[in-house]
Amino acid sequence: MKLFTRYNRILIIISLFGLLLIGFLFYKMLVYYLDQQIDHDLVEEVMEVKEYSAKGNFYKSHEFEDLVVQYKKIEKANPSSSYGDTLFYNPLKHRKETARYLRTELELVGKPYRVLVIASKFERQEQIRNICLIILIPVMLLFALVLLVNRILLKKIWTPFEQLLKNITAFNINHERPYEPVEMPVAEFRQLNKVLVELSGKVKSDYNEIKLFTENASHEMMTPLAVINSKLDNMLQSNVLAKEDGEILVELYKATSRLTKLNQSLLLLVKIDNNLLQDEEKINLKSLIEEKQVYFQELISERNITVESTLADVSISASRSLLEILINNLFSNVIRHNYDGGKIEINLETDKIVFANTGHNKALDPEKIFDRFYKDNASEGTGLGLAILKQICNRQRYQLDYSYYQDLHTFTIKFNHQ
Amino acid sequence: MKILIIEDELGLQRSISQYLTCEGNLCTMASNYAEALDRLNSYDYDCILLDLTLPDGEGLQILNYLKRMNRPEGVIIISARNALDQKIEGLSLGADDYLIKPFHLSELNARILAVVRRKSANGDRHIEFNEIRIDLDAKEVLVSAKPVYMTKKESDLLLYFVANKGKVISKSAAVEHIWGDDADMADSFDFIYTHIKNIRKKLTDAGSSDYFQSVYGVGYKFTEV
Repeated sequence: MKLFTRYNRILIIISLFGLLLIGFLFYKMLVYYLDQQIDHDLVEEVMEVKEYSAKGNFYKSHEFEDLVVQYKKIEKANPSSSYGDTLFYNPLKHRKETARYLRTELELVGKPYRVLVIASKFERQEQIRNICLIILIPVMLLFALVLLVNRILLKKIWTPFEQLLKNITAFNINHERPYEPVEMPVAEFRQLNKVLVELSGKVKSDYNEIKLFTENASHEMMTPLAVINSKLDNMLQSNVLAKEDGEILVELYKATSRLTKLNQSLLLLVKIDNNLLQDEEKINLKSLIEEKQVYFQELISERNITVESTLADVSISASRSLLEILINNLFSNVIRHNYDGGKIEINLETDKIVFANTGHNKALDPEKIFDRFYKDNASEGTGLGLAILKQICNRQRYQLDYSYYQDLHTFTIKFNHQ
Repeated sequence: MKILIIEDELGLQRSISQYLTCEGNLCTMASNYAEALDRLNSYDYDCILLDLTLPDGEGLQILNYLKRMNRPEGVIIISARNALDQKIEGLSLGADDYLIKPFHLSELNARILAVVRRKSANGDRHIEFNEIRIDLDAKEVLVSAKPVYMTKKESDLLLYFVANKGKVISKSAAVEHIWGDDADMADSFDFIYTHIKNIRKKLTDAGSSDYFQSVYGVGYKFTEV
């Protein structure tokens, strides 16, 4: 939920509840006050009844007074009185109205009577309604005004914040362009902006340092690897090697080879990161894939893997070295993670390229497979092949997706034709 | 053949010299810029192996020197740096080839042979081993003057073995020679066997002797029977 919406929602809920509560209390107070007044009038009426009776008369209400006085003879007068709400028929207006009554028993003109005085509440209720409306309408208007001002003000205040968000989203650690600061009138935002500028600078320099470190470390390892490799080559020339020595040499060659490959992959990642491969040209993908298929033919036929390919005649403009690595990695991946007698499907269309392979495992975790050094234990690869694939796609702004459907691990690369 | 090895890593220097010293090859070593200049001033060589990162001066300066002096030696740069621009700079300064560390000595040997052949005055673009003759440009294989059809990979591989005749070549080196190092499959060497088998069959069918020997399961040797 947006801050703005949330703020408004809370404000409206609290205001409405407050308004209802205050309105309810206000109304109750008014009603109570009104009843008190009417009751007071009723007592005065009873006084008048008594005064009239002292003169030997029965008091009759005036016609204009919405008031009724009833007398009823009783055996004996108990000096008590009670108030209450009732409905009565207003003979003047010929309709029923709500009213207050006062019931009391009195000795009138020497005889006991039950006197009932009823006064209509109608006029007073009308008054209350008017008072309530007079207060409620301006309050509601004020409330609406506050909401409106809030909306406009908040929108205005948060505009630079939204720009800030946009800039953070646009910030890419790989791009040369630094984080763009925003002009901020609000102190807190200004501070946030300042922190972000500093943070982005720090992140960038740290990242560059790590890249440099990776690059240097990998390079430094190449010379000792060259020594090991050359010593192995010389050792192999010896005439006195036993069969077991041969096996050891095979293992040593494999390990050295893997270490070399790992180093080369790390260097390649840094190189793609640094955007050093910019040999952009028009490339015919169909012939590139066909060429690479021949290149990998031994590996494919050795494992009895069938390749089904449907290749459209597609040319795209991209870095040749990057695309070659891309296709190489796709091929090595679908071959490496296949089983003997498995299948590879290659589809090339104008806007995408799809490599699918049968494999041992169930679906892989699409969140993780493109991470560096993510691999299943059985794999003897470097764990960098797919990370390089991802990196190249990022660099070329291609969309890379993995899915698992009908026992096929499928890698789809969507080109972004500008 | 006289070869000058300019390399500051002594272990590597010794290995290269040990591998290359045979059949009339003579290796001289230099570990720094000054030593290298000293050697170059005193002698002529057929091929120079040059490490670009020397302790007391950039290897590129030696290239500059060779170019200035119009020296005829073939130069192969051996470098741990895989940077494209460095490679281009080195080649434009007159280097004949560029080999990235780590490399197999058999690969280095084959490159030296190719460079020296290319540089040689008589323009002999063939390599011969008894009845086998390989055309270096067309990659054509002839056995007793009769052409033998081979795929590009097969003739490449045969050439590689002939260039390193008498040496054991590991499967790892053979795979890397043919598939380069972008192929992420350093762990599967065994299919090289199929290629060797095919080459052997084609050669013996054409009447050649079988010069391939399997060695300890590690690799193969192409040698006189």
